[in-house]
Amino acid sequence: MARIELSGIQKRWGKVVGVRDVDIEIADEEFVVFLGPSGCGKTTTMRMIAGLEEPTEGEVIMDGEVMNDIDARDRDVAMVFQGYALYPNMTIYENIRFPLRMREVPKGEQDALVRRAAEMTELTDYLDRKPSALSGGQRQRAALARAIVRQPQVFLMDEPLSNLDAKLRQAMRVQIKHIQRQLKVTTVYVTHDQIEAMTLADRIVIMEGGAIQQIGTPDDIYNDPANTFVAGFIGSPPMNLVEGAMDAGTFTAQGIEVTGLPAALSGNVVLGFRPEDCTVGGNTPHLTGSVFGVEPTGDLTYLTIKVGGQQIEVKADRAFRAELDTEITVTFDPARICLFDAKSGERLR
Amino acid sequence: MSTTNLSATGAAQSAPVRTYRRRSKRLKKWFPYLLVAPAVIYLMMITLYPGIYAIVQSFYAVKFGPWQPIGFGNYERLWGDYQFWGALWNTFVMGSIALTLQCVIALALAFYAYRDPWVKGWRIIFLVPMLFMPSAVAFIYKLFFLDARVFADLLIRIGLIDGNIAFQSSIWMSRSILILADVWQWTPFLFIIFVAALQGQDEEVEEAARLDGASWWSIFWNISLPMMKPVIAVALILRGIDITTMFTNVFIITKGGPAFGTETISYFIYRTGFKFFDFGYASSASVIMLILTIIIAQLVVKRAFVSAKE
Amino acid sequence: MASQRRKSRSESLTLRYAILGGWALFCLMPVLWFLSIGFRPRTEIITAQPIYWPTFSLDAFWMIFEDWPMWKYLRNSVLAIIGSVLIDLVLAIPAAYSLSRYTYRGRDDIGFYILSTRMMAPAIVAIPIFFLFRNAGLLDSVWALMLIYAAINLSFVTWIIRSYMMDIPKELEDAAKTDGAGDLRILWEIIIPAILPGIITASVIAMIFAINEFLFTLLIASTPNAYTMSVALANFTGGSDGLIYNAIALVAFLAFVPVFIVVVAIQKHLSRGLTMGAVKG
Repeated sequence: MARIELSGIQKRWGKVVGVRDVDIEIADEEFVVFLGPSGCGKTTTMRMIAGLEEPTEGEVIMDGEVMNDIDARDRDVAMVFQGYALYPNMTIYENIRFPLRMREVPKGEQDALVRRAAEMTELTDYLDRKPSALSGGQRQRAALARAIVRQPQVFLMDEPLSNLDAKLRQAMRVQIKHIQRQLKVTTVYVTHDQIEAMTLADRIVIMEGGAIQQIGTPDDIYNDPANTFVAGFIGSPPMNLVEGAMDAGTFTAQGIEVTGLPAALSGNVVLGFRPEDCTVGGNTPHLTGSVFGVEPTGDLTYLTIKVGGQQIEVKADRAFRAELDTEITVTFDPARICLFDAKSGERLR
Repeated sequence: MSTTNLSATGAAQSAPVRTYRRRSKRLKKWFPYLLVAPAVIYLMMITLYPGIYAIVQSFYAVKFGPWQPIGFGNYERLWGDYQFWGALWNTFVMGSIALTLQCVIALALAFYAYRDPWVKGWRIIFLVPMLFMPSAVAFIYKLFFLDARVFADLLIRIGLIDGNIAFQSSIWMSRSILILADVWQWTPFLFIIFVAALQGQDEEVEEAARLDGASWWSIFWNISLPMMKPVIAVALILRGIDITTMFTNVFIITKGGPAFGTETISYFIYRTGFKFFDFGYASSASVIMLILTIIIAQLVVKRAFVSAKE
Repeated sequence: MASQRRKSRSESLTLRYAILGGWALFCLMPVLWFLSIGFRPRTEIITAQPIYWPTFSLDAFWMIFEDWPMWKYLRNSVLAIIGSVLIDLVLAIPAAYSLSRYTYRGRDDIGFYILSTRMMAPAIVAIPIFFLFRNAGLLDSVWALMLIYAAINLSFVTWIIRSYMMDIPKELEDAAKTDGAGDLRILWEIIIPAILPGIITASVIAMIFAINEFLFTLLIASTPNAYTMSVALANFTGGSDGLIYNAIALVAFLAFVPVFIVVVAIQKHLSRGLTMGAVKG
């Protein structure tokens, strides 16, 4: 068990800033997901927790102890890598046993621990094989087994599922969460896939451009985004963002008018509303535009509307159909509207 | 090491205070140097130390008695020694001809072989000359051209010439034998490298060019060759360096003759040092060779090294 | 090897096979002829008119094993070569590890220095080495040869191994580190097994260069005590009769066959080895 604290973390390579101003406290047994697009600094941050990178500034603290000067191999962390990084010349059994040997766990206990880890990842029948004889999914489970075998303080996982196909990914997600709960280990998980983040995390840390954009539970992130980046990143399709002017509680943009908003705000703002928080038609619609695309998927119909030079996504009922280029109106759920400052992107409350 | 206890259920009970191992920062810093040091020291012992020894010795007259210091005497003598300059010239002439021939032939062979379905077979056959001991190859050629006069005999049978060929009295004949021996034995070296490079060429680029109507020759000339430039450079540098040290063939076949016309710089040093025991003088020639090597290394190799660095 | 695509569209097959076949003949004819020399009686080698269809004779074969300490030459060769390769591996593997996996000041300069020793012509250091070894009493010993061969080959053994090490994904090392492994253990348990082909290639090429070495061996080995096959060849004199060519030819083939077999086995890696990693085969 471990609390992790990152305090004032910066990582620079020469002039290039990889990570800036990262401050975060992770509770014991918590499952935290670092989410963001490629190059946002999430992997670098995790590597600093592992000890594979040294922070240019700031401290990595575990259970109150500053870890900056401690080598990766002496920290009690276990890591699962995107490419699995299984040792090619060893059998799966030896791969899983490796960390135990390194930590000098008594020989008698090693076998039991290896088998337990193999059982938890359903690899008992594959222990004699070498990594090259395993499928992608099996290798991923082997990497996982190697990480869980010695019950570390912290699990670190670097996009472990991105090389798997969608079906396998879903199955593995469930299994990873299950294992984490069972072993009660603090976990830091890095991914660019928001579904993984939403389903696995106790809390999500969204990063972009080396900086933290928002920290919160999946619900917080989804319902209460801190800025336009978060709003536009989470959700599938993501939140619709329209720029317009606020005046006396009314938001206006081309084809859009929303009243009843906080009167205190004025100037240029960005209005955000999620595709699922819209209904087509309505007595006092907020938006008028023309149908640009209708995509029925059996479950629901994705409706793309062209309004004022922009495209808006709306999730409509599965039976909804419309002719292209016809006029259409949309009503938003007023309780779920978000407003952001047009210049900074920050949420206005 | 950590003080976590592991129980059978897998739940960790850690001691309230963990002690982490802190490792020496100084060791970490010097570790890569330590790893590379034995190799470097060993090399210095066999190259740097003898190199300095040679430089020092070059300022003395050394035969069998005590060393007599003579300042730059050896170098002055070297300057006026026509055999020394001859050796340099021989090395240059024979080397460049041999290298050019090898390169052209290897490229031509590679051009045809890499597209052939039987490329593996050609490769094995062409490899054969390179796998013989150079001294054995020298004997083959010595026997064929000189001692058993087989070459001359064949020419007579074909009717090209009537009498015997006096290889031993013609400088260019003798040089040709040495060049031929080198080309025969070392063309495969270049061939292997060129074929590998051509086989590594992107097949789709070739296909696109073929569809555009290009002949295999123009593909080779306009696409493959430019792509291969760094490879050719590396291969030629490696082979070129080895050619300048040509010794074995000279020793066995011509012994530098006739009239020192086939004496390479290596043979000159050998002869001066171990036939005439004029060690100081030989050392000075060694030093000159060393200086030339360093110059070439800095100019040619370093540039290739820097540009080809991964 | 040659793909279907390349094979199907070729021009001028006759020209191609003329050139390739011609060179193949050029390569093999001297070898076959020399083979015939090895299996004929000595009297038929140097004659007024060259003999093209000699009588088969195993004279040379018996000669080299009975009249000469052939086994000794072989033993010296094998000892010197294997010893030098071992020395090289012990020195080169850590050095290659350092050059490929670490960044530190002077790394490139050190790498270049190691590379540059490959360019050191034997003749440059021949005389000093002769003196140094003589003073150390090492002349005419297999140990001296071992040390020299190791020095000659160290440069490219290091660079070949470095080239293979650079292929190993860094992720593998990161995994080992978080698993608790130290650098030396990573080297021993993970990297070396992963680059075995590179180690073999480097060793094979080093062995070939050691077998071929002539100048130093000539200088250092003055009695059959330290003769290797390479130099023994040059001294197969029968006194006033001159060189005993059939013996020479046979020994040449004795040395050739194992080399040939081994090289064919590693030919996939050959171009990468010869260019010290610059060209991937």
